[in-house]
Amino acid sequence: MGNRIRVGFMGNPNCGKTTLFNAYTGANLKVANWPGVTVEKVEGSMKFQDYDLSLVDLPGTYSLTSYTMEEVVARQYVQSDEVDVIIDVADASALERNLYLTLQLIELGKPVVLALNMMDIVEKRGMEIDLHRLPEMLGIPVIPVSARKKKGLDILMHAVIHHRDFMEHQPLIHHHDTQTEHQHQHHKEFVMVYSDEIEDKIDLLKERLRQKYPDLKKYRYVAIKYLEDDEEIKKQYPIETSDILKKSYETQIINEKYDFIEEVIQETLVNKAQKAASTDKIDRWLTDRFWGLPIFLLIMALVFVLTFTVGDWLKGYMGIFLDFISTGMTGLLTAADASPWLISLIVDGIIAGVGGILTFLPNIFILFLALAFLEDSGYMARAAYVMDSLMGRLGLSGRAFIPMVLGFGCTVPAVMASRALEDKKDRLRTMLVTPFMSCSARLPVYVLFSQAFFGKYAAAAAFSMYVLGMAAAIIAAYIMHLMDKRKAENNLLIELPEYKAPGAQTVWIYVWEKVKDYLTKAGTTIFIASVLMWFVLNFGPSGYVSDISQSFGAAVGKVIVPVFKPLGLGYWQLVVALIAGISAKEVVVSSCSVLFGIGNITAASGMTALAAQLSDAGFGPLNAYCMMTFSLLYIPCIATLATVKRESGSTRWMLGAALFQLAVAWAVTFVIYQAGSLLGL
Amino acid sequence: MKLIEGETGKSYLVERMRLPVNIDRRLAALGMTGDAKVSVLNKKKRGALIINVRGTRFAIGKHIAENIEVREDMSDGE
Repeated sequence: MGNRIRVGFMGNPNCGKTTLFNAYTGANLKVANWPGVTVEKVEGSMKFQDYDLSLVDLPGTYSLTSYTMEEVVARQYVQSDEVDVIIDVADASALERNLYLTLQLIELGKPVVLALNMMDIVEKRGMEIDLHRLPEMLGIPVIPVSARKKKGLDILMHAVIHHRDFMEHQPLIHHHDTQTEHQHQHHKEFVMVYSDEIEDKIDLLKERLRQKYPDLKKYRYVAIKYLEDDEEIKKQYPIETSDILKKSYETQIINEKYDFIEEVIQETLVNKAQKAASTDKIDRWLTDRFWGLPIFLLIMALVFVLTFTVGDWLKGYMGIFLDFISTGMTGLLTAADASPWLISLIVDGIIAGVGGILTFLPNIFILFLALAFLEDSGYMARAAYVMDSLMGRLGLSGRAFIPMVLGFGCTVPAVMASRALEDKKDRLRTMLVTPFMSCSARLPVYVLFSQAFFGKYAAAAAFSMYVLGMAAAIIAAYIMHLMDKRKAENNLLIELPEYKAPGAQTVWIYVWEKVKDYLTKAGTTIFIASVLMWFVLNFGPSGYVSDISQSFGAAVGKVIVPVFKPLGLGYWQLVVALIAGISAKEVVVSSCSVLFGIGNITAASGMTALAAQLSDAGFGPLNAYCMMTFSLLYIPCIATLATVKRESGSTRWMLGAALFQLAVAWAVTFVIYQAGSLLGL
Repeated sequence: MKLIEGETGKSYLVERMRLPVNIDRRLAALGMTGDAKVSVLNKKKRGALIINVRGTRFAIGKHIAENIEVREDMSDGE
């Protein structure tokens, strides 16, 4: 111990907890304006005065029960002995609801410091909080902070250090008018005092716990949890209670807590009659029963138009730059008299593979920038509401729509976001269909094949992939819903946070993290895959081969090719590219450049070369469309598979899901190719 | 009456809820307790509602809204 203090950050979702945590630790954790962003605890550390502080950011929760996964994670940690002090971050503009968690944390019996965040919103609305009366009533230090503007941070940490051993509350000053017949003077001891009926039971339970567990510190907390009929606590500290407890007092306990909170609010919050928040005005449009859906579709369309138009425009320059590097390198290596295989490895393998992927950075950047705006503004939760009736028909809650939208960015965090769904079955189904939502890694495939084969309709062809992916997800969910005998009940329950202008810092962290991920992926997975591909394609049974069709890769591809013939993809090169694409979807593109020996495949001239080569082999726009479709739907990348395995907790389920996606990809592509051929396309 | 029958712009007081325990308790933890004031902010044809309870906005699904009994809040004048 000594000078080490472990601090846990607790708070309701969207209270600015992670922003505050980032402000202290300098960490760049993702924040967004929808409930359920932090799904796991995250640790950081800092030095303050002479103390080593380890800080833990916990998922946002509304209470210390264990009905959702976030609650379970947060509660387990905060109950354990691993926390010395709790910082309870509260959104001051919604103090009433936030105090509920505060009361529960105080009951836990650990030192609690209340950080009042978002005081600026309170002021803007013309409200005032009595910062003297509030700590007096709660018996804990209350520190106003601004996580965004980094104000009050030192004072808060100072309070944490001062209160770390502080178990007894300051004298509490309450004016309860009800006369109590209860035998103890609890009002001096505890912040939250219940009715006599409950206090009597708490005393009985505490006595019994004391006999059986003499070392326990949190008798009152455990006793209250017993009254709430909390399964987990009952398992942890079993005692005989049948003579004391005849029913669950949970509702009564919640009601009494809120009665006390009302009392606190009445005495500490001035001008509660607030001005109509501008959020309500915006919501009148965005959640309108008629306009809500068209506005949502328009916003999504705008996101993709920006991604493709602005992104492609920037990408053009990246392509020219890559051409320059590629030619320059060849010249340099030839001049240095390097052996042909080394030139081939560097130019055709590495520069073509990794460099080709890097040219898509502008598209990726714009897409994530747009998603960051959507997430940080507070619109995401509205999308859940707007899509709720449609999702209800699929047997899913509107909340399942958030992971699906996030899937447009990257499937890995999207699958993780499905944790916010309470129902295990909903969670699995959402995980199963989310990979159909076209992620940014598939974008290079669309851009390459649509621009090479669709000319001025390239953008439309690429955009149709997003619609197709969404349709596949919806139809798959619907079929599963039909097969499911259990009557699905629509239990959407989601907080709609205040709208806010997206913070530059937040958006920057979000986008930078994604760009960094993308660059890392290009430098690791794609680099290795490109080198491997180069070897597989340049070596055959007879050693180094100059004719690619004699290589190992070709041999494997040619075995599998018959399966792909009915899909219009009967080209062993494409089969090899698709197999390689399981490592990361971008690898489909980088492999193509190696396979077809086109170093600058993502630049305009390279695309023309690719189109010419493939056209000679009878590969037309329909085949290109099938290639895009198959890339969209088949087995997701390894990172996604790993995430699905972790989140579902089952390797078998993950493999089943991948097989299902492969089957769907085959079937859909088959239908498109056969129908297209019949129509003579 | 049921909350789902509530009109946009009006306020109601919660009488009781008939929901599965986990949802009931979660709503209660969010402040949806007996006699709590609930304002209906927005409403869709198929029943999802946006409500305001104790200063926080929530979207709730049809099934939940159907199973919350409320009465009109008389103190809530125009």
